[in-house]
This record gives sequence, C-alpha cells and structure tokens, in this order.
Amino acid sequence: MEDFLSVNQMYIVLLIVLLIWGGIILYLVRLEKRIKEIENSMKKG
Amino acid sequence: MKVVKYSSIVLVTFVIIAGIAIPTVREPQGLFEFPMIPGLGQKSRNIFFHVPVAWTTVVAFLVSMFYGYRYVRTKNMDYDIKSVSSAGLGFLFCFLATVTGAVWAKFNWGDYWNWDPRETSIFILLLIYGAYFALRSALENEEARARLSAVYSMVAGLTVPFFIFVMPRMMAGLHPGAAGDVEGKGPVLELKMSSNMLFVFLVALLGFNLLYVWMLDLRVRAGKIEYQRIKQQTS
Amino acid sequence: MSSWAGTFAVVSKDVRSEWRTRYAVNSLLMFVVTAVSIILFALRSADPASDLLAGMLWVVIFFTAMSGMSRVFVSEEERGTTLTLQLVATPTVVYFGKLLFNSVLILFLSLIISLMFQLLFQEFSIKSYAVYVISLMLGSLGFSAASTIIAAIIAKTRSRGTLYAVLLFPLLIIPLMAGMSSTIKALEGSPFGEALPDFQVLAAYLMVMVAGSSLLFDYVWKE
Repeated sequence: MEDFLSVNQMYIVLLIVLLIWGGIILYLVRLEKRIKEIENSMKKG
Repeated sequence: MKVVKYSSIVLVTFVIIAGIAIPTVREPQGLFEFPMIPGLGQKSRNIFFHVPVAWTTVVAFLVSMFYGYRYVRTKNMDYDIKSVSSAGLGFLFCFLATVTGAVWAKFNWGDYWNWDPRETSIFILLLIYGAYFALRSALENEEARARLSAVYSMVAGLTVPFFIFVMPRMMAGLHPGAAGDVEGKGPVLELKMSSNMLFVFLVALLGFNLLYVWMLDLRVRAGKIEYQRIKQQTS
Repeated sequence: MSSWAGTFAVVSKDVRSEWRTRYAVNSLLMFVVTAVSIILFALRSADPASDLLAGMLWVVIFFTAMSGMSRVFVSEEERGTTLTLQLVATPTVVYFGKLLFNSVLILFLSLIISLMFQLLFQEFSIKSYAVYVISLMLGSLGFSAASTIIAAIIAKTRSRGTLYAVLLFPLLIIPLMAGMSSTIKALEGSPFGEALPDFQVLAAYLMVMVAGSSLLFDYVWKE
C-alpha cells in the first residue's frame, strides 16, 4: 500500500487537484444558471 | 461568452493534467516528457499555476483601473460595477499568487516568507486591494464611493509598474530575475523551458485569463442585478 | 487671478492660519521628538550600525508623514471651508497649493529629524553630503506627493485617520525603499554613481505621482 502511494504521488496530487477544480467548475456553472434565471425573470416582469 | 466559458474550462483542465502528470526527466524526448530545470526538479510544475495567476491579478487590476477611468469620465454606474468586480477577482488571484508563491518558497528557499523584493511587491499589491475595499466601505454615497475608489485605483495603479518591473529587477533577491541572478531573467524570459513545456505554460496563461473573463462576466451580471434591485427598492 | 498667484495664495493662507495657531507644527515637532526618543530608548544598549540608523531615520519621516500630511484637506473639512475653497480657486490651483504646503512642511520636518539623528547617534555620520541631501529631498517630496492626493481622497470619509494610513502605506513603500537605500549609501560614503539608480527611482516616482495626481485631482475635488 505504501509503495503504491509513494510511487504514484504525482497522480494522487493530480486527482486531488482535479477534484477541487471540478468543484470550482460546478459552483461556477450553478451560479451562472441562477443568474440566468433571475435575468430572465427580470426581463419578463 | 459561451466560447470563453467552455474554452477556459477545457484549457485549465488540460493544464492541470499536463502540468502535473507529464514526468520530468533529464533528457526529454518527445512530447510527453519535460526537462529538469536546474535547482527545481518536480517543483518546476508550479510555474504553470503560480505565474499565470500572478499575471492575471495584474490584468484584473489594470482592467479595474480602466473601468474606474471610464466611470469618472461618464458617471455611468455600470462601469463602477465592472471596476469593483474586477478588483474583487484581482484580490482573489493576488491571494492565490501569494499562497502558491509562499508554498513554492518553502520548498525552494526554506521559508514561507523572506521579504524578497518580488514577495514584498505581491504583498503590497494585496494591501492596495485591501485599501481599495476599505475605502469603498467607508463611503456610503454611491457616487462618491464610485468616484473616489476609481481615483484611488488609478493613483495606486501608477505605483504598480514600479513594483512589478523596477523593484524586483533592481534589488537583489531570491526570486528568479532579481539583480545578480546567475540564471538571468528567470526561466520564463530566458526560455529555459522546452517547447512542450512552453506550450503548456502559454495555454495556462490563456486559460487562466479566460477563466478570469468568465468569472468577471458572472460577477458583473450579478452586480447589475443587485444594483437594479436596490434601485427598485428605494424608488 | 493667474494660476501662480492663486497657488501662492492657497499656500500663504495655509501658512498664515498655521502660524496663528501653530497647532500642526507644534504637534508634529512633538511627534518627531517622541519618535526619536522612543528609538533612542529602544536602541540604548545596542550599538546601532549606520544602515539600521538610516532605516530608523526613514521610519520616523514615514510616520511623521502619516500623521501630519492629511491636515491640508482634513482641516478644510473640519472648519467647513471646503466649499469656499472650491468656489474661489480652480482645482489645479488648490492641488498645487496644498502640495507645495505639504512639501515645505515635510522638508522642514525631515531636516529637523535629520539634525536630531546626527546629534544623538554617533554612527550617523554623513560621509557623502551630496548623496544624503538629494536622497532626503527626493524621498520627502515623494512622500508629500503621495500623501497629498490620498489626503484629498479621504477628506470626506468617516474614519479618516485610519483610512488615510491604510490607503497611503502601500504607496509609500517605493520612496521608502529607495530613500533608505540611498541614505545608507550616503552614510557609507559611496560615490554619487552608486546611488544613481535609487535617485532615478525616486525622481521617476515623484514625477509620476505629481503628474498623475494633478490630472486626477479634478475628479476628487469636484462632484
């Protein structure tokens, strides 16, 4: 187990960074959706 | 804007994967190997994140200054919204640049902070951003707030070239490109990177800037909505 | 009224009202004495080297600027004379008048600080006079230039004192570092050529700040 972890350090870092990045993208995309909804409702009303 | 959004996601994802996963070897052959930069080893990967983020914070600041100027010339609140939104993002990127720099400093030079000229100048930029927001929170009149913070961002912006270009090059220090650096002007300007590394680096530069543009767009739209809501409530 | 006459009028008004109360000069001189005394006390046992003393000199000048340079605009607000000034003079005249007043004030104070340092610290012996004088002058004028425009910006805000220091500090780092560097060289007796890069930075900073401030002052002064 430790061997596997020490040899593949880079890829574990990569996985963590990708996860964090994925979270950021998700947050931004949801934010954009909500802004669009509000903008549309303001246009109609 | 859709183009900006999707391309920024794709580009930064590419940079993360390429920047971290491609191995560094002594004699790189082919597209999927990076050279070892003297003195850095695996730590050289930070260059794909630290430098573009630092570059983006300066861009954000310049954009904030530009929209501040547009505001004082036209008194159009839209410009103030753009100016403060860009300043907020600039502050975020400045914080990230400082942190990635400090982590890199710990691994390379032994301490998280050394008061190296370039470290000092990014810290000063952080203080300028902080001062900008402190000024804004002290002004309740929206016209005065927009006008005076625009002027401050321009006055502070006058000193930024000194921090970015003059100080770190004139004074001796740890950061690459300081006076007396044996490697010259640092791995970026001296082109120490191989062409595939340079490619990933340039993609990173573009990707992070596009990410900033997308985030700015979101913030400006949200800011406009908020402004209209406030106007509706008070009218 | 021509611009020069107007500028001179602003300066002489400030000088005269200052002379009547001598409030600012007294309190700033007391501040200088206090600051230097604190440093004397803090360094009493250590034998301060010339570069440490050069740093301390500039720290005292720095804090004097931080406490004294905002008066030019804040006092107008406090006395309610801002509107009068806006009506009577053009923004450019007001700006250069206030800048001139601040510059004379800080040059005077930095001279006093400098004399005190020479008297009280043995290690503070100036070996290259020309370098020292230019360093002190350019640095102090740079401080004055930045302080004046920031004073104008915060004059109408609520927490003026703290905001003034917060806004001004990052801007003063450049002349502070160049001033310290060239003063150290003056104390060590370095030739003029070695201090030239510092002087270039100080001169460039001074010109950029004065030019930029004079252009932007209109937007601060008029609403």
